[in-house]
Amino acid sequence: MQKAKEKIMHALFLICACVSILAVVVICVYLFGTGIPAMADVGFFKFLFGTEWRPAVDSWGIFPMIIGSILVTGIAILIGVPIGVLCAVFMSFYCPKKLYKFVKPAINLLAGIPSIVYGFFGVMVLVPFIRNVFGGSGKSLLTAGILLGIMILPTIIKTTEASLNAVPTSYYEGSLALGATHERSVFFAALPAAKSGILAAIILGIGRAIGETMAVVMVAGNQAILPESITSGVRTLTSNVILEMGYADEHKQSILVATAVVLFVFILIINLCFSVLKRRKD
Amino acid sequence: MKIKNIFAAVLSAGLLATSLTGCANGGKAITVVSREDGSGTRSAFVELMGVLDADKKDATVSTAEINQSTNGVMMSVSSNPDAIGYISLGSLNDTVKAVKVDGVEATADNVKSGKYAVARPFEICYKEDKLDDLSKDFIAFIMSKDGQQIIADNHYIAVEATQSYTPSGKKGTISLNGSTSVGPVMEKLAAKYQELNSGVTVQIQQTGSGAGITAVTSDACNIGMSSRALKQAELDKGLTELKIADDGIAVIVNKDSKIDNLTSEQIKKIYLGEIKNWSEIK
Repeated sequence: MQKAKEKIMHALFLICACVSILAVVVICVYLFGTGIPAMADVGFFKFLFGTEWRPAVDSWGIFPMIIGSILVTGIAILIGVPIGVLCAVFMSFYCPKKLYKFVKPAINLLAGIPSIVYGFFGVMVLVPFIRNVFGGSGKSLLTAGILLGIMILPTIIKTTEASLNAVPTSYYEGSLALGATHERSVFFAALPAAKSGILAAIILGIGRAIGETMAVVMVAGNQAILPESITSGVRTLTSNVILEMGYADEHKQSILVATAVVLFVFILIINLCFSVLKRRKD
Repeated sequence: MKIKNIFAAVLSAGLLATSLTGCANGGKAITVVSREDGSGTRSAFVELMGVLDADKKDATVSTAEINQSTNGVMMSVSSNPDAIGYISLGSLNDTVKAVKVDGVEATADNVKSGKYAVARPFEICYKEDKLDDLSKDFIAFIMSKDGQQIIADNHYIAVEATQSYTPSGKKGTISLNGSTSVGPVMEKLAAKYQELNSGVTVQIQQTGSGAGITAVTSDACNIGMSSRALKQAELDKGLTELKIADDGIAVIVNKDSKIDNLTSEQIKKIYLGEIKNWSEIK
């Protein structure tokens, strides 16, 4: 009886595992099966490096969107990483226990806010701010970058803090024993020891930023052009798909799937970096 | 040492950003706000205003900010003093200001009298000889005083109606297919019709004007919905068109804008990117 039960549960777990793997496989097959022929139809080079996206005249270049995604993510990292890492250092080495009880849930909350709410915050607060300070329409590369920088904070803070806490205390204590101050011990003994964890945090942050859609659509302006300055509008790969899917006919749909394929390849590369990093650490 | 470098990098990136954008300030550049490619409102607008290239294809300037919905356009324009956009007249409210086009105010009355030229018809189409009695009855309801009242209540421009509708007590199913712009008001009409004739089910599929016309041509549905007049080629396939309402397209600016009137030529040039600054408009 007991054995039968165990067997049944064993099978159940196996099925659960298969479902998630099957989901990945089905998505891959669908994406590549639809996207690659569409790409070939347009011409790989023309599709990936064409700078004009004008569906009306059958011109499907997604190069501006690729650059847009990279630039927006870059700015997000530039803003999110220093703030996130320093925040993690504070939480791990400086934060009084009483304050920690408040800061930790606040950061968890930040991670739980739906992206559409971030988008509204961006439209109502960031866009007018950028317009007044930097000029332009306010919906820009910079705005999207700042908003994403805020959105990736929880990811970076949590991962960095975990890796800082995983550094053996003997590093910090040894540094103190050698006569270094608290600051020196933190920044030159503990922080470098958590380097790979911080790198992992940055990679996860990039993954989060490049895949974000709703908030970016609301603040980026969505022009399918190569941005001339930091205040000009930009369209990312994700926003390109969501913007034009609604009215797309079959041909256009397959091209939008091809856009998603490019995004998917980006995510694959990011995940690959992450696992390589992890393996090296182990 | 390393930390100092990171700080320096962030700081200099910030300074660079400020200096890059400094030159973009000054003058009141127009923020052109448009809908995404494929939107019914966009295609009607570019055709009516002549925002077309030599091949009669949509030539909206590539630097135009793209929004995914009527609400998105209104939010963009209401928060940006230098923006211009366009929306369905039925959706206009006091968060934005509709400009006069060639001196004519955008009101339902002016659209009705034909003075306000930026308008498009909402149409239904069907095969006269294949129309069953139930569908005829539904069309009679749409064209009756009661049906047109629903259209007017939803801020569209009703057509002349003389007769009241008396429920026929028929039973059966009517299927409609077509425009996503006509869809919402058709849903309201159908709801009322089903309330009056409890034995009738009205099925509405919103797939776009073109798809709806194709569906009715191939007898896949009883009635097609279109947010543009039918082309001669489509009429030649044995279809009859019937205008059920008009929908104006309002050109909107920020409430604080000093602009009250634009000529259609100016609007066209703004959307073609030939006029870039409000100072060029006298």
